[in-house]
Amino acid sequence: MGWDEFLVLWCAVWGAVALVGYGMSLAGVTKAQRTVRLTGRIERVREPRHGGSHKGGISVVVSYRDPASGQEVTVTNDGERGEMITVAWEGREIGVSHPRGRPHAYRFSNSPEEPGRGLFWPGFALFLVYVGLVVLVAVDQGWPWALIGFGGPWAVFAAAHLPGTIRAKHDRLARLAAMDTVQGRVVAVLKDVSVDQDDGHTWTTITPVVSFTTRAGTVVTAHCTSHLADPANSYGRDVTVHHTPADPADFTLDRAAQQRSEGQDVTFNVLVIVVLAATAVAGVVFL
Amino acid sequence: MTSAAGEPPTHNTPAALALGFLTGAVIGVSLTAFISGCVTERAPLIIVGLVLPAVYGFLFFLSTLPRRAREAAVVPRTALAVIESREVVGGKTSDVPVRFELSVVPDDAPAFRVEIRQDINLVELPDYRARGVVVVEYPPDRPWNTRIVKRPTPEWEERAVVARVDSVPGPAMKSDSPEGCAGGLLTLLGLLLGAAAVLLLFRADLFDSYEGENALSRRPSVSSSSSTTAVTSAMGTVTLGPGQSMLDEGELRKAVESLTQGANKPRALTVVVQDRLLTVVFAPIGVESAGFDPRSLPYDRVPGLVEEARTGVGSPQSWQLAADGVTGSLTLRVVVTGDGGTGTLEADGQGKVLRRSGS
Repeated sequence: MGWDEFLVLWCAVWGAVALVGYGMSLAGVTKAQRTVRLTGRIERVREPRHGGSHKGGISVVVSYRDPASGQEVTVTNDGERGEMITVAWEGREIGVSHPRGRPHAYRFSNSPEEPGRGLFWPGFALFLVYVGLVVLVAVDQGWPWALIGFGGPWAVFAAAHLPGTIRAKHDRLARLAAMDTVQGRVVAVLKDVSVDQDDGHTWTTITPVVSFTTRAGTVVTAHCTSHLADPANSYGRDVTVHHTPADPADFTLDRAAQQRSEGQDVTFNVLVIVVLAATAVAGVVFL
Repeated sequence: MTSAAGEPPTHNTPAALALGFLTGAVIGVSLTAFISGCVTERAPLIIVGLVLPAVYGFLFFLSTLPRRAREAAVVPRTALAVIESREVVGGKTSDVPVRFELSVVPDDAPAFRVEIRQDINLVELPDYRARGVVVVEYPPDRPWNTRIVKRPTPEWEERAVVARVDSVPGPAMKSDSPEGCAGGLLTLLGLLLGAAAVLLLFRADLFDSYEGENALSRRPSVSSSSSTTAVTSAMGTVTLGPGQSMLDEGELRKAVESLTQGANKPRALTVVVQDRLLTVVFAPIGVESAGFDPRSLPYDRVPGLVEEARTGVGSPQSWQLAADGVTGSLTLRVVVTGDGGTGTLEADGQGKVLRRSGS
């Protein structure tokens, strides 16, 4: 078997996987479609212990109504439970999901989610078919086709996303301008030390925890890893917190820095378009 | 201790050992096949090296799917337990591994004693003192997989504060039976056997290329990265790959050296060079007087001589250089054929032009 046959086989196998995936999605039997998605409510927030670990997020007690029995169920984020809750307040709505028929395998997400169609893996299989086809053409017709095949479509894809990125930047700037400013306090500094098994190097992660009260009287506890000077010695420090009135999870300690960095996404997007387009053009030149 | 569950699994069952051996063999075969494929430039070997572990992993995933689905369907049971003993078993990290011996007393099942290992944060370690009551969770069919619930629900938290839990007599079942060295040795054996099997199967390809490049072989041999070399005691040829030429800088010298490397330095009777082909006819072994050392040719002059012979023959189509040293003095003859005729040139052993003619 040579490279040609292998690449054809590669495309055929992943093409079949993609077809099976899309078929399963149409039949409604993908893992995402068999997941029950509910809305939970944080009932209690346990204050992190100073010097403890940031793993597992902020300890919360969550309740949700089980659609099968109609009863209120109370759970906590103990162990591996999906997304880490890093901003919590009593009454916050979060997403709770579990496989159909297995409510004990519940997982949290930071916001209630719409049911998915499970198209990620079929899409990924299709991507692998595309990679196989580009490599096949590059092997048969010459390496410049690899530059054209990878640079061209992705440049178009990135260009199509540019308006969305610009829109998101403007929305974000508007949200930053409308933020409330309140006083907060660093109520704990979490410290995680890990050791590299190979070279014995020690890694330390410092995670300050900020607590602030919104104008509506909601007490918010949040991990705060940016815009805080000397985080290791920040325990007990008073800080100024800016947050979106409707969603205190959207907060920052340095609004000006946040505003300055908002343009970076657009710059990065443009840079990616330029690099990918240049790659495709180089491919055409070398043909 | 009483429990409806079976015995804790051990690492040394025949099936586990066989699986370890197979895994080692797959790693050995795929790794050796991939490296051998790269060395000999054989696509099928590289493909085997890449596909085999993927297929093995997929089959392993499929074979363990029913067991994992069965285990995931089991609803874990929550219970109170009392810490009989606690021992920190090392660690320089903020989460240290701790060995606990627990007496677990479920509400609606027999109590049991279990020994577990769980990572506990140093700051929280004082919360887990001996004789302290904790909330635990375990799959009813695998009680040795008990774990302490660090963030219990308020209801269980309150129960743990007020409850009195008695110790359970008897030996504790263990969650982590120590893995014997037999498993590791079998995996290593599988790895070595897998690697040896590939090396044995493709020894001809792997080792012939080495001989072809390094010694004056007594039998025809072939090596190829961009050229093909064939050597016998009587003659040797080197054919360059497409897109290359003997007129390229250093190419001719490299080709001659690939034929003359080795302990016994052979003498050549004739050396013929064409655009991509070099042929050397060796003098019989032991004959020192006849022929010349092929490495003594004026390599740097060859492109110049060909260029000189080419003058006046129009667009050149082919060229040939023949070095003849049978009669003693070395003579180089260059013939270039073009659409405008044929140009010939004769030079001495130093590349000095003696005669030149064109037609």
